[in-house]
Amino acid sequence: MTAPVDTIVIGAGVNGLTAAATLAKAGQRVLVLERGEAAGGQARNVEFAPGFRAGPLGLDAGWLPPPVARALGLRGMERTVPDLTVAVPAGPKEWLALSRDPSRAAEAIRRHSARDAEKWGAFAARVAKLSGFLEALYTIPPPDIDSSALADLLPLLGVARKLRGLGRADMVELLRTIPMSVQELLDDWFEGAALKAGVGAGGVRDIRQGPRSGGTAFVLLHHQVGAPAGAVGGRGFWTAGPDALITRLLEVARGSGVLIRSGAEVRQVVLRDDRSAGVVLASGEEIGSARVLSTADPARTLLGMVDPVWLDPEFRLAVSNIKFRGSSSKVLYALDALPELPGLPEPARSLLGTLSLTGTLDELERAADAAKYGAISDRLHIELQVPSLRWPELAPPGKHVMVAHLQWTPYQLRDRAWNEPGRAALGDGVTARISEVAPGFASRVRHREVLTPVDMEARYGLSEGAVTQGEMTLDQILFMRPVAGAARYATPIEGLYLGGAGSHPGSGIAGGPGWLAARQLLRDWHDRGAQG
Amino acid sequence: MKRYDAIIVGGGHNGLVTAAYLARAGRKTLVLERRPLVGGAAVTEEVFPGFKFSVYSYVVSLLRPEIIRDLDLPRHGLQILPLESTVVPLDNGDYLGSWADGDLTRRELARHSRKDAEAATLFGRLMHHMAMAVKPILAMVPPDPASLAPSDLRGMLRFAGHFRSLGAERFHALYKLMTMSSADYLDEWFEFDPLKATKSASGIIGTFLGPRSPGTAYVLLHHYMGEIDGAFRAWGFQKGGTGAISETIARAARSFGAEIRTDAAVERVLVKGGRATGVALASGEEIAAPIVVSGLDPRRTFTQLVDPGEMPGDVVEAISRFKFRGSSGKVNLALSRLPDLTCLPGAGPHLRGAISISPSLDYLERAYDDAKYGEFSRNPYMDIVIPSMIDPGMAPPGKHVMSIFVQYAPYALSGGWTDARREAFGDAVVNTLARHAPDIRSAIIGRQVLTPLDIERTTGLTEGNIFAGELALHQLFFFRPVPGWAKYRTPIKGYWQCGAGTHPGGGIMGASGRLAALEILRGSGA
Repeated sequence: MTAPVDTIVIGAGVNGLTAAATLAKAGQRVLVLERGEAAGGQARNVEFAPGFRAGPLGLDAGWLPPPVARALGLRGMERTVPDLTVAVPAGPKEWLALSRDPSRAAEAIRRHSARDAEKWGAFAARVAKLSGFLEALYTIPPPDIDSSALADLLPLLGVARKLRGLGRADMVELLRTIPMSVQELLDDWFEGAALKAGVGAGGVRDIRQGPRSGGTAFVLLHHQVGAPAGAVGGRGFWTAGPDALITRLLEVARGSGVLIRSGAEVRQVVLRDDRSAGVVLASGEEIGSARVLSTADPARTLLGMVDPVWLDPEFRLAVSNIKFRGSSSKVLYALDALPELPGLPEPARSLLGTLSLTGTLDELERAADAAKYGAISDRLHIELQVPSLRWPELAPPGKHVMVAHLQWTPYQLRDRAWNEPGRAALGDGVTARISEVAPGFASRVRHREVLTPVDMEARYGLSEGAVTQGEMTLDQILFMRPVAGAARYATPIEGLYLGGAGSHPGSGIAGGPGWLAARQLLRDWHDRGAQG
Repeated sequence: MKRYDAIIVGGGHNGLVTAAYLARAGRKTLVLERRPLVGGAAVTEEVFPGFKFSVYSYVVSLLRPEIIRDLDLPRHGLQILPLESTVVPLDNGDYLGSWADGDLTRRELARHSRKDAEAATLFGRLMHHMAMAVKPILAMVPPDPASLAPSDLRGMLRFAGHFRSLGAERFHALYKLMTMSSADYLDEWFEFDPLKATKSASGIIGTFLGPRSPGTAYVLLHHYMGEIDGAFRAWGFQKGGTGAISETIARAARSFGAEIRTDAAVERVLVKGGRATGVALASGEEIAAPIVVSGLDPRRTFTQLVDPGEMPGDVVEAISRFKFRGSSGKVNLALSRLPDLTCLPGAGPHLRGAISISPSLDYLERAYDDAKYGEFSRNPYMDIVIPSMIDPGMAPPGKHVMSIFVQYAPYALSGGWTDARREAFGDAVVNTLARHAPDIRSAIIGRQVLTPLDIERTTGLTEGNIFAGELALHQLFFFRPVPGWAKYRTPIKGYWQCGAGTHPGGGIMGASGRLAALEILRGSGA
């Protein structure tokens, strides 16, 4: 056996590699264990048809908090934000394409409503301001509300003020906005259905609720964190290539001495004398380590890898009550040619952004309705991207990769199962739906792969296939993420830490949880004299 | 022109409470009510000869004990009769009951789920503790969180202090309660679906949300807040209907010297140089007073009683965003005899309590789905009571009155409310009831159907919202009705608000009226 390590990190996704690199840079010997065949987790692009690669990661690469990039010395992580970030159907063969530039977006909006066009700039500024507050919040550990509510909120306010020039009135506006439904928020501002649907889709991404549910205004702000003001869903993509973040993280981690083993699935966290002592792999191999930082989701870690006798039953109950509710699926398409979308303005540029196929908030709501009863709507909500336009290396010359992101396809179906026929039916439905706006689409499909929540669970070990590792709803963020009492990354088991998207600041904040968790672990390590 | 110290616009129960407190402090106070009777949405009317109904609001919830004490309401006729049980008819022909006797209720619940019967005890204890912490907030003037004034900072500290005193575990439970849907919250505790549905029904009342919408859980607390007052139970009937409560408060106000004029519709509030100077009635009469208090809802108070031009633009804008979205209707039935429930035949004690049509969470959620797209619920949630069982004076001997609260009936019905749609809505309600009490149709000798539009037309409540504005998280406490103007003042000097559109709002509680009066007295150097 090789030299003992200070910390084992479970999972070599973005958060795992970020945590590992942070720990190694502080002088720890770190071993990362990855169950997949290579590092990268959901961020890894895999070949799903000969010559075609795609990653099932969400619609954007997320926001890499600048302090994380700085701390790890990640260079070359520039993003390209396409000019047209999102396009929505606004009638038969008619699309509303929103520019990242508020004044150009207003021009497009004016064709549908002059009133909306007038308000767009102010709305974009407001959203940027409020999501800017979240941005500040996402670079620090969650406030510890239990001990003294106000004493903790005030420094937060200070952080926000310094970083974003937010005043008390803005803070009040933020507090008023986050419990709202995204539909209420948008109804307060706009009248145009397509505009509201295009923006509102960001308020329901990867949750099971529809746009009329309270708290979806927060979800919208969450997905705007790090986007330029007015760029809807516009966090952009890595300019350096599809695998840029993972490649850089691997370089930095390896350069700092981190060891990475793939194909090494952790079956159990070993506990001795009430604290973690290492892990046992699926192969039976045992690896000792005083500290374990898991980026697997909280349920998988605390319920799946820890012997129940070590945890307080109430704490276990709280973990089992985490709402995962994976309800998003993907269809990866290998295409012989780009789809043709009649009426889509500047197709080559629009397709660099996202096409959101649902044109009204009511349609979004109806699609979500079915999921409440464990069914799949006849009218799926689909968002499309063509990654091969961003990075041609993902497909053979002249060919393309298209990724369809679908909601709401619940993990738990009431009257059918996610089996091969179910998967095929879903794929056929998606192809048919796309063909409505892109006639002849089906004939350009060379190959397709359907990834349901059940597949996401099997492939990535995500409970209920939830890419969020726990829905980003108001009751599951900040000091409640993943559960009260474990929000500061340390679990009730000494030496066991959580650092995946299931922890603050949650999903879509690339490396955020991993970095904050590693820093907490290091503080505790230094308190113990940085020994063993 | 006659002079008063204060004029209250609107003789609803909150307006009457404000009037009583002002008069008690020696202010010459006048209440002006548009309708021929006081009470607003808390009125008793003889809709059919011999049959009296609490036409709109039908149960008393959380009437503040300090008001009962300060105004000596029992002396003026307050007499609350307890509403002790709830029966939920189930789809399988069985029922779920809950009774005044806690042991009986536990045994009944254990019949359906042993696990839930055990959980109910722990749940009740937790809710009790949280209600204890939250209840003082009902008696608090909301501080302005954006202000740096010492009184506001102290207020914020006091507000925060209530939560800190809970301790970590209960604070987290409270946080979940504030942010979760009632369905999700109850899922963590219970397994028996009709129990969860019935409990969560209290969270959807008066809102345009379904039981799976976040923000509906915290209303669960209200139930427990009533119980800890001790003086009376959470829910009950006033002898003589809810109108009798209004009359009781009116009597108290008069005993302190307040004048009350009915059939006196206020057309507008007179403003001169940014100050309220009195009111003008629809009749053309003008009455002067340095203080004018509106008991009307925020939209009427800020943008209809006064020229919106008198208000800062951002306040008018904020008021235009305040959500009403009336979602409930009411069906009042005059009955020749008692209904016979299939699940509990005969005239048992269950008819002295509430009958709740809430067989499952999916049932309630589907009722909401209909309303979201502009239809009334085909199979609505209904809360049914028979006041004549407890107060025989409400109906002729041997006959009965039945009050049915119905959700959802959207104010913005697609195509709009017509007489035909109203009757179709009434039919849906009776058909739903008939599934559980097939003999009901032949017992009906009179039927009054009230849509949100009817409620708006008669009571003046905008969009027929029974709480004078939705009780949603972003419309509570210092957000009610709008940030910066939650302390009962308005931007016009001398013009105040005291209705349920201010904190804490909702139900026959009187707290808004009382807090407004105390602020007015403080602000005018009493």
